[in-house]
Amino acid sequence: IPSPASLIQDIDKKHLVLLRDGRTLIGYLRSIDQFANLVLHQTVERIHVGKKYGDIPRGIFVVRGENVVLLGEIDLEKESDTPLQQVSIEEILEEQRVEQQARQESEKLKVQALKERGLSVPRADTLDEY
Amino acid sequence: QSLEDCPLDEDEDAFQALGEEDEDIDQFNDDTFGAGAVDDDWQEAHERLAELEDKPVASREQDGPGGEDSDLLGEPEDTLAERLTRLVIESELEDPAIMQAVQTRIPMQEPGGLNSSIWDSSAVLRRIRGPLLTQEMPSVSVLDYALPQRPPQAREEEQDPSERALPRRSSSPVIGSPPVRAVPIGTPPKQAAMPSFNQQILCPKPVHIRATMPQRYPTPYGERMSPNQLCNVQNSSLLGHPFPHSVSPVLTHLQRAQLLGGAQAGRMSPSQFARVSGLVGSPIPSVNPKLLQGRVGQMMSPASGFRAFFGAPPAPPPSQPQPGPASHLQSLRPQPQMFRADTTHLHPQHRRLLHQRQQQNRNQHRSLNGSVGERGSHRSNHQERKDPYANLMLQREKDWVSKIQMMQLQSTDPYLDDYYYQNYFQKLEKLSAAEEVHGDGPKKERTKLITPQVAKLEHTYKPVQFEGSLGKLTVSSVNNPRKMIDAVVTSRSEDDETKEKQVRDKRRQTLVTIEKTYSLLLDVEDYERRYLLSLEGERPALMGERKQKICDMYDNLRGKTPGQERPSDDHFMQIMCIRKGKRLVARILPFLSPEQAADILMATARNLPFLIKKDAQDEVLPCLLRPFSHVLYHLPLGTVTSLVQQLMNLPQSAPAPTNLHLTAVLQNKFGLSMLYLVLSRGEELQSSDVNTELMQDNQWTELMLMVTRELLRIPQAALAKPVSTPSNLTSLFSRYVDQQKLNLLETKL
Repeated sequence: IPSPASLIQDIDKKHLVLLRDGRTLIGYLRSIDQFANLVLHQTVERIHVGKKYGDIPRGIFVVRGENVVLLGEIDLEKESDTPLQQVSIEEILEEQRVEQQARQESEKLKVQALKERGLSVPRADTLDEY
Repeated sequence: QSLEDCPLDEDEDAFQALGEEDEDIDQFNDDTFGAGAVDDDWQEAHERLAELEDKPVASREQDGPGGEDSDLLGEPEDTLAERLTRLVIESELEDPAIMQAVQTRIPMQEPGGLNSSIWDSSAVLRRIRGPLLTQEMPSVSVLDYALPQRPPQAREEEQDPSERALPRRSSSPVIGSPPVRAVPIGTPPKQAAMPSFNQQILCPKPVHIRATMPQRYPTPYGERMSPNQLCNVQNSSLLGHPFPHSVSPVLTHLQRAQLLGGAQAGRMSPSQFARVSGLVGSPIPSVNPKLLQGRVGQMMSPASGFRAFFGAPPAPPPSQPQPGPASHLQSLRPQPQMFRADTTHLHPQHRRLLHQRQQQNRNQHRSLNGSVGERGSHRSNHQERKDPYANLMLQREKDWVSKIQMMQLQSTDPYLDDYYYQNYFQKLEKLSAAEEVHGDGPKKERTKLITPQVAKLEHTYKPVQFEGSLGKLTVSSVNNPRKMIDAVVTSRSEDDETKEKQVRDKRRQTLVTIEKTYSLLLDVEDYERRYLLSLEGERPALMGERKQKICDMYDNLRGKTPGQERPSDDHFMQIMCIRKGKRLVARILPFLSPEQAADILMATARNLPFLIKKDAQDEVLPCLLRPFSHVLYHLPLGTVTSLVQQLMNLPQSAPAPTNLHLTAVLQNKFGLSMLYLVLSRGEELQSSDVNTELMQDNQWTELMLMVTRELLRIPQAALAKPVSTPSNLTSLFSRYVDQQKLNLLETKL
């Protein structure tokens, strides 16, 4: 089967996997099954904040197929060719926390502003659009 | 003696005494009152069973069925894989990913007593499970499989042609589930085996065919070859050629029958495919077009499969099928190796493209390796060699996953499962056929898309019956689901609900109606195809069905159970307020009778301003124009008149100076286009038959005057842009207005 249809050609290659919860994992794809469950080896969780990123080594991951959004092979030659700057884990976690806070603040302000104007964020079930 | 008086203790003598004392108790199940119910001390059992370890090899061989040999002592030189093997507690799955080719080294004799090493516990637990399992389900033949022979196995396990051993289960087997596959779908096979065929029995004994089959995957390059390299190897199994074409085993009659019977079972597990496909693949030289087209997973018994293969009406023109398979053969003979088994369901053109691309890719890779220099290839090789964790996934496992994916592509009804692909290639073929008729050039090889179909099998589900049980047990399974929750729908009374909720519910009702009607529509649209494929006798029934469905659709649209008339357009309006509803109406219109269609048109015209307002965001109304125009083409004069009336909302509104209805119509693209269409039709009718009543019709004349008046009055900017302006409008207006006004009108049109 050609490569787009099956992950078999991707085995033993370094991949970047994006999960549904937003995490980014980078590791060597060692094994798969028919549900696209993945076994990632020497996995690293990469956190991106702005132009910086930090890697947290995680070891071996077994990812259930349904949680994968997408994955792609990493070209080892081009891997280091990136404008992003790698920082330490502590620093990136701190940056992430700061970013989260900022986002929450802005969200709160938005909701407040809407409330003042008498509008409300529409609830999902009233949006019956067909 | 009552039950409570009987002491349940471990003392066997007490039980015997009980039995003697009260004859009645003898009748009871052993499980309830006998030894099975004894609350055995697990520790005792454990101790007992642990002693089994100490027994010599010979007795162990007799003893535990299904257990793998393993080293009880971990040796430091063991490879990672072997260590993984031992870590497995559940040998039931016999997962090849974990249990590699087992070395049957003679295990060391253990001094007595329990070893606390982790390696032991697995072996011990395996042994515990063995005997217990054999006690549990004597009646169910699930376990009644032949056990694998255990010859000394080399590392290349693939050489072993023995049957699959049924994995031992620690939990109860899945009763009532698809019978032939006794192993859960997710389980990789330990070894390939011939499938069991009989559908009727839950889990029949397999017929063991010890064919002298050559091994499917020769591994001349050793285990540690990277997949990339294997791709470049010509004869590698990765290329997908299921069978080394040098070998051609002779199928015995029995084997062939079982093959085909097994295929009909349709439930061959992936590993089995490898063998069977290989056997079928060989008779290329035997000019058997059916088998040729039936490659992996597409085996059918010749009788039933005939029509499916040719995918055409039962009486195809005799000239066509011949060139088809023949050309296939011809194009295939010179390149037997290019015929990839897993692409047979694809259109021949598609397949060729795929192969070409693959060749290109391979060439690219090769050239890359060459051009980047030795460096490139060396680096990849170097990396491969450096990567000690490579090839953890065995080739066999990879093929197994591939096979599952291929199996998923089999279809009993490709038209249903793969509608767009089939349709696309049908269109292409029609185009090329049309071209050839016109062009009349040299006849190109017209390869038709013949999608192999797996035979649709009738499964009669028989619920599982247990021996020795009182009555029938209801076991819930995938084939026989059981209601677990009693969900009662309580509809709330009207007063409780808020207005908002009522509106929402009504909208939801409409949505449901639309969906139901859509299903009917898809069925009706499909009847043509079914008609062609059906037999003579069935056709009237099909037509009847079709008519009925059309009626149902119309009823759904207009609202059911009217009196003599349909007083309210409300239902229809609800549908038309929804985007999908409008498209639905557009698609249904061609199927309705003229009266029904006219009715729809009237209803639309009547409520046009309302619809226009609702459609402001979606702008889907123009999709109705084409079917409307088709309907209009067949409408008689009277209807046309009334239509125009409706469009102008007469006779309802008083003759106001400005006709708001008409204004709204004129300002909307759809409205204006529709008006033009209607007018154009009227003009056609007028001009075609000079003596027609329209000329004398006062109503019509009045209407025309009104229309022209309105058109003149409305400023150019407010006038909408129609989809198309019919050409005969000028001549229409010329009958009713003078030249000056006519010129003005012309500029506006």
